[in-house]
Amino acid sequence: MDAKDILGLPKNSFPPLEKKSRPPKESQRKPDGISREVYALTGGLAPLMPAIEASQLKKKPPPLEKVTWQWLPFTSSARKDNLHLYHWVRVVNGVPPTGDYSFAKYNKSVDVIKYTDEEYDKYLTDPVVYQVVTVGSRLTSITRIGRNEQHDAFLFLLLLLASSLGRDNFLCGALALLFREMWTKEETDQLFDLCERFDLRFVVIADRFPSSRTVEELKDRYYSVSRAILIARAPSSGDVAAHALVKEPYNVSQEMERKRALSMVLSQTRQQERRDEEVLIEAKRIAESRIPPKVAEEPQLVSSNAGAEATERAIPGETVSPSNAQLSSMVAPTPLPDNASTLASLRMLRVYLRTYALEQMVQAANASAGLRTIKRVEQTLQDLGVNLKPRVPTKAVCAEHLELRREILTWLNLQKQVQYKEAEGSSFRDGSYGETPGTPKLLHRGGDQDRTFVPDSINFGAERVGKKDQKRKAPGAPSAHKRPRKLKASDLYASQERIQGTEKASCWDMHVYKLGIGIPDIFESLGRDVEIGQDCKNQLSEPHRTPFVDYSALQNPCQKKNKYLLETEEPRVE
Amino acid sequence: MYGGDEVSAIVIDLGSHTCKAGYAGEDAPKAVFPSVVGAIDQMDIDGTGDADGNSGASADLQNNAKNNDSDNTKGKCKLYVGSQSLGYRRDHMEVLSPLKNGVVVDWNIVDNIWDHAFRECLLVDPKERPMLLAEQCSNTQEQRERAAELMFEKYNVPALFLAKNAVLTSFASGRATSLVVDSGGGSTTVVPVLDGYVLQKAVTTSPIGGEFLTDCLMKSLEGKGITIRPRYSFKKKEIRPGNLQTVDLDFPHTTESYKLYSQRVIATDIKECVCRTPDSPYDESAYSNIPMTPYELPDGQIIEVGSDRFKIPDILFNPSLVQTIPGMESFAEIAPSIRGLPKMIIESINKCDVDIRRELFSTILLTGGTASMQQLKERIEKDLLEESPQAARVKVFASGNVTERRFSVWIGGSILASLGSFQQMWFSKSEYEEQGASYIQRKCP
Repeated sequence: MDAKDILGLPKNSFPPLEKKSRPPKESQRKPDGISREVYALTGGLAPLMPAIEASQLKKKPPPLEKVTWQWLPFTSSARKDNLHLYHWVRVVNGVPPTGDYSFAKYNKSVDVIKYTDEEYDKYLTDPVVYQVVTVGSRLTSITRIGRNEQHDAFLFLLLLLASSLGRDNFLCGALALLFREMWTKEETDQLFDLCERFDLRFVVIADRFPSSRTVEELKDRYYSVSRAILIARAPSSGDVAAHALVKEPYNVSQEMERKRALSMVLSQTRQQERRDEEVLIEAKRIAESRIPPKVAEEPQLVSSNAGAEATERAIPGETVSPSNAQLSSMVAPTPLPDNASTLASLRMLRVYLRTYALEQMVQAANASAGLRTIKRVEQTLQDLGVNLKPRVPTKAVCAEHLELRREILTWLNLQKQVQYKEAEGSSFRDGSYGETPGTPKLLHRGGDQDRTFVPDSINFGAERVGKKDQKRKAPGAPSAHKRPRKLKASDLYASQERIQGTEKASCWDMHVYKLGIGIPDIFESLGRDVEIGQDCKNQLSEPHRTPFVDYSALQNPCQKKNKYLLETEEPRVE
Repeated sequence: MYGGDEVSAIVIDLGSHTCKAGYAGEDAPKAVFPSVVGAIDQMDIDGTGDADGNSGASADLQNNAKNNDSDNTKGKCKLYVGSQSLGYRRDHMEVLSPLKNGVVVDWNIVDNIWDHAFRECLLVDPKERPMLLAEQCSNTQEQRERAAELMFEKYNVPALFLAKNAVLTSFASGRATSLVVDSGGGSTTVVPVLDGYVLQKAVTTSPIGGEFLTDCLMKSLEGKGITIRPRYSFKKKEIRPGNLQTVDLDFPHTTESYKLYSQRVIATDIKECVCRTPDSPYDESAYSNIPMTPYELPDGQIIEVGSDRFKIPDILFNPSLVQTIPGMESFAEIAPSIRGLPKMIIESINKCDVDIRRELFSTILLTGGTASMQQLKERIEKDLLEESPQAARVKVFASGNVTERRFSVWIGGSILASLGSFQQMWFSKSEYEEQGASYIQRKCP
């Protein structure tokens, strides 16, 4: 009870329930007016609101009228003859009920238009007039003036053939087709008769129609006739304009097309569907296994409105001479895998501008690099004196431009890796990062090696770049070195696994050489996992200088610029 | 009844196996008897035949009619109608059927049958009652006019209506549009009904019906060396208390057709008791080891029915099985053109307009005496699911009650004749007199 107080529930909720259960029991025990057995028929429990008063059941209804049932004849207004059928009729006080047969009101039918003969001749004949033009004795043109042009092409051909070959039977065949299509008065009359009998159930009408016409033909004839009559009978065209038939005439071709499609849908049995599905799954599997897996990395998405983009880009001032803005066919696929997806997307457009293609390629190439790297590439290009977009975008020029971009990108990536390694090395050796003067020679050498390592370095560079960025954010913490180093080991190993072939292993050696110069300890720790070529080891054992890490340059933008200036000592525009 | 109005019409359905007659508004026909007659050609015998005997054993049809012999002498033939009269063996009595391939060929017999139904079974005066006749979907104009003539001229009915079997079946299940698969005694038909009208061009029939299956069963049993003795040909004598011995009786003047008829009656019973539709197409090897079901023939013989249990019903689905039954080779020539039941259904639906196909697929009604076979509905559904299009939902309806399946045509007629809005559609006598019998084509679509 205290709980109820707390909750605020009413305290006296329990007693009323008890009270409610008692009244039904009382009425069970003491039915008044009705015997207990009758009460039990309702299930023993009285309804809360009794539907019939118990006292009423004993009384009889007041005998106001004398009702008998008699077997009497009747007629129905729905019948045209006067057939008398008999049925039981409730007769009250000896007066049989008057009025029509109660079911006669259900005799409804559709209003089918009835035309007279004159109207038929005036409006409704199915005219199939062929305007025939002959030159000499040969038929040169036949134009049909009629309502529907379903069989036009075929008939035209037939008639031409007939005339040119001079064959009478062809002509007869063509004419026979002609007549079969035409609607004679008898047929139209039959159609309308059936329409009335079957209340415009066209499927049934088509079934009962003496000649074999399709449902669409029948509907077409019926609706066009009705429409013609409506329009003809209307005092002015405005009156019937609102009528449904006048506003939207029956469209035969659409109906036929719809039915054809529906029949196609329904003609596939379940077995066939299952087989089709199996075949499709197989085909998909085969197609997927054929696409080279490396392409999956590219995030390039070219939508179908790429065509619009191409035109848009063509417009904003590209100083391109008209002869070079050729709407050319496919660009020859370059051997680089990261272009495969771009090419695939470009292939989707049958015609595109080369500048657009170039943009796409550049974007693809840049996708693996960060924003800063892209800027650096562009900066490099500008410093080299190369336009960001080639002035004269011929095929050769574009190819070279792309090549240059790629090389610069690779070179920058490798630079970063070298810096990273140097930082590691210095931190490992000295415990802190030192600043050692750069060795342009080294870098130069690195630049020399760029070309050979292009195919392998890209992937390698990508993740390294990522790592380098990470490193930059938190430079210098010794503990940070350890973790990344471990990661790097597995990374190096993983990337090595990706590289296949013995010649690539030797490239790997050169990578190691480039990156691991001066840090033999690291490589001893990595030693088991990493295969280092003999020559590499020799190199490592040589006395060498620590790799250059220009941290000051990193931090100081001006000096950064200087570094680039240094690097631009070997401009190579090919 | 809300839509009903009792006008006390009579509904008659003359099928190829049984004739059903009764009062409209009831839920089962009062008179059910075989639609064959026994005919004794008066020229063959001297004097009149014995018309008083009534000790013939009744056939195992549902029958609660009072049957007396009908002694209609027309010309020189004496016809005996009704299961009781047929059950009694008479010398030189030929068993004749008025129908051939579902079409009436002998109107005299039909006349007699109707007479028997009115006067002996139902005890009505046709002059006062509108008549509703059920007819085959393939009935010709000529047949209908003949029926109308007979009814109006001879029996002076006040009103007549000829309704198609399939339409009545459809109405019996409460649907105006459906695909009716009627597997009766003489044939199997697949009929699409749209809004109460039969689509004539899409009707498919096959001569394989209950009687055909009975024949197959008989031949198959004979091939195994079992002879079915007709009931009249033996007698059981009590040799010792409790032991009965069968004694053959010989009636040399019994006609072949009567013997066949009596054997058929027994074989029908075997078929109804023992046969079951197999769940998958019948395979000789799969069913060779099936346990046999015993069946006791009237003469005390106990026969074992094994693979025939499943083989016979599967003929409905695979008519070429007929060729494996010895003695049925005569049918083999017609067999290639006949398709199994699921194929008939698909064919019929494909002949219809595309728009209604879906609806037809989802309301397939199974009816007829042969359709009472066990597992038939499930088997049809299963077979149809394979062949039907993906987009259509297949649903087969069959009434659970055996009586309803057998008499669904009659029940539909009973419903139709007692509807209030039907009363305007009767073809009345005055219309017949004014317009002629050909008007029936218009009145009874």
